[in-house]
Amino acid sequence: MTLDRRRFLKLSAAGVVASLTSTACGRDTGSDAQALAQPALVEMLGAERVREIGRQYRASVSGENTAAALRAAISSSRHQRFPSIGRRSIEETIRDDFSAGRTVVVSGWVLSETEARQCALYSLSV
Amino acid sequence: MHTDARTLESGAVIEGDLCIVGAGAAGISIALEWVNSPLKVILLEGGGFDLEPVMQDLYRGEIVGQPYFPLEAARLHFFGGTSGHWAGYCATYDPIDFETRSWVPHSGWPIRRAELDPYYARAQPILDLGPYQYDPEFWLKRDKDLEPFPLDPTKIWTKMWQFSPPTRFGTKYRDAIVNARNVHLYTHANVREVEANESLSEVDGLRVRTLDGKEHRVKARAYVLACCSIQNARLLLASNRRATAGLGNGNDLVGRYFMEHLEIPSGEMVLAKPQSTKTKMYEIDYGVTKARAELALTAQVQKEHGILNGTASLERGALGEQVQSTFQFLPPELLKATMAWEKGGKVGPSPLSASSTPAAPASPAAPRIFHLMTRQEQAPNPNSRVTLGAGKDAMGMPRAKLDWQLTELDKQSIRTYYKVLGQEMGRSGLGRVQLRDWLLSDDHTWPSFISGGWHHMGTTRMSADPKQGVVDANCRVHGIGNLYVAGAAVYPTAGAANPTLTLVAMSLRLSDHLRTKFA
Repeated sequence: MTLDRRRFLKLSAAGVVASLTSTACGRDTGSDAQALAQPALVEMLGAERVREIGRQYRASVSGENTAAALRAAISSSRHQRFPSIGRRSIEETIRDDFSAGRTVVVSGWVLSETEARQCALYSLSV
Repeated sequence: MHTDARTLESGAVIEGDLCIVGAGAAGISIALEWVNSPLKVILLEGGGFDLEPVMQDLYRGEIVGQPYFPLEAARLHFFGGTSGHWAGYCATYDPIDFETRSWVPHSGWPIRRAELDPYYARAQPILDLGPYQYDPEFWLKRDKDLEPFPLDPTKIWTKMWQFSPPTRFGTKYRDAIVNARNVHLYTHANVREVEANESLSEVDGLRVRTLDGKEHRVKARAYVLACCSIQNARLLLASNRRATAGLGNGNDLVGRYFMEHLEIPSGEMVLAKPQSTKTKMYEIDYGVTKARAELALTAQVQKEHGILNGTASLERGALGEQVQSTFQFLPPELLKATMAWEKGGKVGPSPLSASSTPAAPASPAAPRIFHLMTRQEQAPNPNSRVTLGAGKDAMGMPRAKLDWQLTELDKQSIRTYYKVLGQEMGRSGLGRVQLRDWLLSDDHTWPSFISGGWHHMGTTRMSADPKQGVVDANCRVHGIGNLYVAGAAVYPTAGAANPTLTLVAMSLRLSDHLRTKFA
């Protein structure tokens, strides 16, 4: 099987963030780290737009400008509400954010706090 | 019957029972109600049956305040009025539009929405609309491909619209008016002054002029001003020989509260699962679609957030592309070309389609990205007003000066709308919403492409209290026994929907009231 360049970069980026994520979030599983590393927004908006959102978020939230700070913020927020983690629970976290009004506007996009942090992590992967 | 007022000897006196000034959608709707009645109805139209630049020039005016469309292009001064170039969008006003809302200063009508229901039903066929059905369920049963977004109905509801062909009143109703034995249409008859008696309690007559310098008088038992918001206000203010501040203006309200609908590109919507999300319900194939939906916030959400009533419509597009506001999309020259094309029998492609260059390739199977276009009421604002300008028109009448003003609540409401919609799209998993740049700054500045929808409302607002409104609940000018105002000029608030359907319904209601008066 061969990988084209775009797919290779995508997987590499995911791998970098996954490793960053899993080392800092001791309680998170590997699959959860993968989920965190690949925001669902990428499919909707495209990788470059998601990176830009991430950069904007990091620039505007001074305390969340590093991978460690972002992972801590995501982890703390999620573990308070969802003991089980994984891809599904990230989606649930995001929907829960929207339901509770835990949203931010970044680059004009109305996003859940969790996915905005996800974008920020993603932007650190490249 | 029809007479061109230019053919009369100067000094003619025209007498009748009811005199309607202005043969647009409102004036013609009322006149049609009286065809074959025992009363003599005089219908005065300033223009003729065709557009004439010299007549349009009478509408030219001064614009201060927010930038606005040229007044002489925004309204048509001929038989049929501005229905000659309207687009046919129709929806009812919502119950909340009629209520006094503590968070919207100067809100509240002296009538309730339910009182208009029978008139809405009667207005539908006049505008060549379908059944009086604005419940989405009715349309869902008609077309299985229609499917509303699964959003929380306590927050966002599906507001239905219907589309008129659009009805050109000047074409469709010309014969009915001209052939009516008891309705006498006078064209090229511009009212220069409404003359009141000494105590200002009754109108004695109208002074009418033609462009060739003739002057006539019209006398009737009751008078209805139906020349649109700006011209009604101008006429009342200029009728100042006895009432120095203008007729009906004892409380300095005539011309105030001019309102528009804010029609402006405000956001983007990206669907998460375009393959499985049906969007037909929200889309329009102009000239084909009979009804479609827009996304509206519920009354409860408006109250919770303290915002105005508004909707968003969806237009397919691509992220980052420029989207034009209503005023930008249809500049005066294109408007003129489109009317000429229509009048010439629609030969060849319409100028509109020739000028439209969609940036995004059509993807009918699964569109993912939509531009979100705001359609929102503006808050009633006494400082948004029409006054008399310094210049005069060819009849010697002072020109109108429009000072269109917006408030902080107008912009805050649009911003909040898109945040709420964005949250609900995210919660439902349907997709995401982006606010356009101009909406991000937390201030009340407006972009250069600020736009209305050519919907002129207010200027002679309705209120039971003469200190709050120019006309009463029956559209009668406070303090003047036989002077009425028809059309959107009487709206105390603008509602989220385009004004025409409500305007026709209100005209029918006024006509019924006049019937009781004459009885």
